[in-house]
Formats: sequence, structure tokens, C-alpha cells
Amino acid sequence: MRGWERLEPDAQLVQLCLRGDGPAWEELVRRHARRVYGLCYRFTGNRAAAEDLSQEVFLRVYRTLASYESGQGAFSTWLTSVSRNLLIDHYRRMRRDRLTDSIEEAMPHLEAKHSPGRTPEALAQASELSAQLQQGLARLSPDLREAVILRDLQGLEYNEIQVVLRVPEGTVKSRINRGRIELARILEQMGMRPA
Amino acid sequence: MDWNCAFTEERLSDVLDGALAPAEHAAFSAHATQCEGCAQMVARVGAMLRGLRELAPVEEPPYLVPKILRGTLGARASDRTAERWLAWLLEIGQPRFAMGVATVAVCLAILLHVVVPRMQNVTAADLHPANVARAANRQAHLTYARGVKFVNDLRVVYEIQSRFASQPEPAASPAPGPESNPTTVEPRDRSQSRPRPGRRESRFGELVVTMSPSEHVSNAWTRSLS
Repeated sequence: MRGWERLEPDAQLVQLCLRGDGPAWEELVRRHARRVYGLCYRFTGNRAAAEDLSQEVFLRVYRTLASYESGQGAFSTWLTSVSRNLLIDHYRRMRRDRLTDSIEEAMPHLEAKHSPGRTPEALAQASELSAQLQQGLARLSPDLREAVILRDLQGLEYNEIQVVLRVPEGTVKSRINRGRIELARILEQMGMRPA
Repeated sequence: MDWNCAFTEERLSDVLDGALAPAEHAAFSAHATQCEGCAQMVARVGAMLRGLRELAPVEEPPYLVPKILRGTLGARASDRTAERWLAWLLEIGQPRFAMGVATVAVCLAILLHVVVPRMQNVTAADLHPANVARAANRQAHLTYARGVKFVNDLRVVYEIQSRFASQPEPAASPAPGPESNPTTVEPRDRSQSRPRPGRRESRFGELVVTMSPSEHVSNAWTRSLS
């Protein structure tokens, strides 16, 4: 096929999936499951909800895979857009059902990066820190929360976030800036001291 | 370039990401050395960002990927299965199959009606292989004996009938009873309502001997005494 070699690995896998290649779909899921699950978990703060949402994301991707065009951008960006749309739907659903408070109450403690040299005390401190950060994220408004998560936890570039959120780059920068300041203020209110 | 607190808040991300132009960075640094609020805000948000970036990537549960694959690739297989079942049900719904299914259902109902009461008295000991074999053997012998008895009974009946058929014609005698009274019932009507014993011709021109039940008994007694 012409141009096949120029396609990114994800785009090649998508082409194979569209021809009914099951192993290609499996490979695509394995490559991106962690990223999608992480995004869902950081946004909801709930493991069960993150699992359900991750499944929903891949189910939707599976059904709408033909609508992805590699010329429009990276597959990971498109996947993040799909995830983000479902997360927003989920947030609206939860707010309508008045369940947002229970999410915050059920906020789990998160694990910090493990390094071999860390003592148990350091690990405990890191765990507490990550729990506070997650709780602070949960208190941010959804607009600011998703911008901060995409930039500072998922590591997306501004132009990628612009595609995902479908807002101008200036709005993306503004949301990230306000989100960071707001999150720092929330964490200070929670008694978290800067390192 | 003059820098103020509003700039710090507005360009904070650029400050932290190192995206300020050199002139802007110099102006910010000059302001931050004099403004404790801006310096604290930059330190606080910078620490928070470092904490965020320290967070490890969340690991998905090990069963998530297989679950997703079942929900997607498995969905196709289940769809095909559902289609097959639907086609089978539609075929079963046709009258010829429906009649067959109904007949089988009736037969099963009869069998269950016969078998279930017996099954209610089954004990654990009855399920022992030796007992099962013994019961099956007994049942087979009983069935065989019943069959033999039935055939023998039939043979006796046919033998009696054949002897009756070979007997000579008995003397015609008027039957007693209400038939003798011509005023009560017409003779033609009597012959139509009740066949009289004696010889008569069948519809096919054969000679048939008919006897009343009392004559059967009396003839049998006569033969047994002789």
C-alpha cells in the first residue's frame, strides 16, 4: 500500500483494525489502556468509575474507528478527545444525580512514584502528598481540571490540548494557568505546604 | 519593561515553563525580588507542579484489557450467536416444526407423568450401580413375561374364536323377550337395532356365524364336559 510505511504505528494498527484484524485491535488497546485509564482515574478519582469509563471509551473507539483520519492528528490525541467527551458526559451525569459529594468522600489515596532509594517514611509522605493533590484536583472546576490533567499529568502539548478541548490556544493557556493557581490555592487551604 | 502583580498571575505558566522572553524574564525577576506575594505564589505553584509531576502513572487493573477485548471483539461473536439463535427460533416457529415440537412435548409430558411418581420413591441405595443393574434386569424380565402372557392370551382367544367358527349351525330358535311381542316393536326395526344369532350373509357375500353371548357360554360348557 502506498504511504503505508509513512503512517505512524498507531495509524497502521487502525488500518489493520478496519480490515477486521483482531490482534491489531488488541495491540492498540494494550498500547493505550494505561493512558486512558489514568486520564479517567485522575478526572473522576474513583477506580470503579475509571474502569467503566475506560471500557466505554474503547467501545466507542471500536465503533467509530472508521471516523479517525490519520491526517487530522495523532491517534492518541483523537483517543484523548473521545475520552474527554465521555468524561464530561460522566461529570454531567454525576452532577445531575447529585453524586459528586460521594466521589470526593470516596477519594482514594494515590501512589506516588516509587524509587528504590526511598525510605518507608518518604513513601508515606509521597503517598499523602499524592492523595492531597488528587483531592485538590477533584475540587477544581471541570474546565480547569481537565486542562491541568491533560497538561501536567498526561503531558500533552498546548496544540494537542487545543484539539482535544476544541477551544483556541489562548483559552487553553488561560485555563491551564488559572487551574494551576486555583489548585495551589486549594492545596494551601487543605494545609499542604510547598516542598 | 515594567512588571506588576497582574502580569505575574497572567503569565505564571510561562514563568514556570520557562517560556518568557529574556527581557520579560529579567523584568519578572526584578519584580519578584521586591514583591513577596508574587515570589510566594510562584514558589507555591511551582511546588504544586513538581508534586503533580511526581505522581506515578496510574496502572490499570490487570483484568481491564481482557475485559475491554471481550466487550469489543467478543461483541461481534455474541452478535453472530444471537443471529443464529434468532434464525433457529424463526425456523422453529414454522407450522411443521411447531407441530413436531408440540407432539414431542406431549410425549415428554406423558413420560414424565409416568416416571416422576416412581422417581419420588428413589433412595440413595437405589442409585448404586448393582441395584440399578438388578432393577433393569428385573424390569426387562417383567416386560418380557407380560409380553409372553399377552401373546398367550391372544392365542387362547383366537383358538376359541376359530373353534366357534368351525362349529355346525345351531338350530334356529326364536329369541325370547320383547321381540316376541309384535305389538310393541316392528319386526323390521328389531332386526336393524339388534343382530339376531344365526347364519347370515355379510356385505361381501361371506357366510358369517353370529351367536349371542349366552350361546357362547353354553357351547363352551358343552365342549368342556364332552
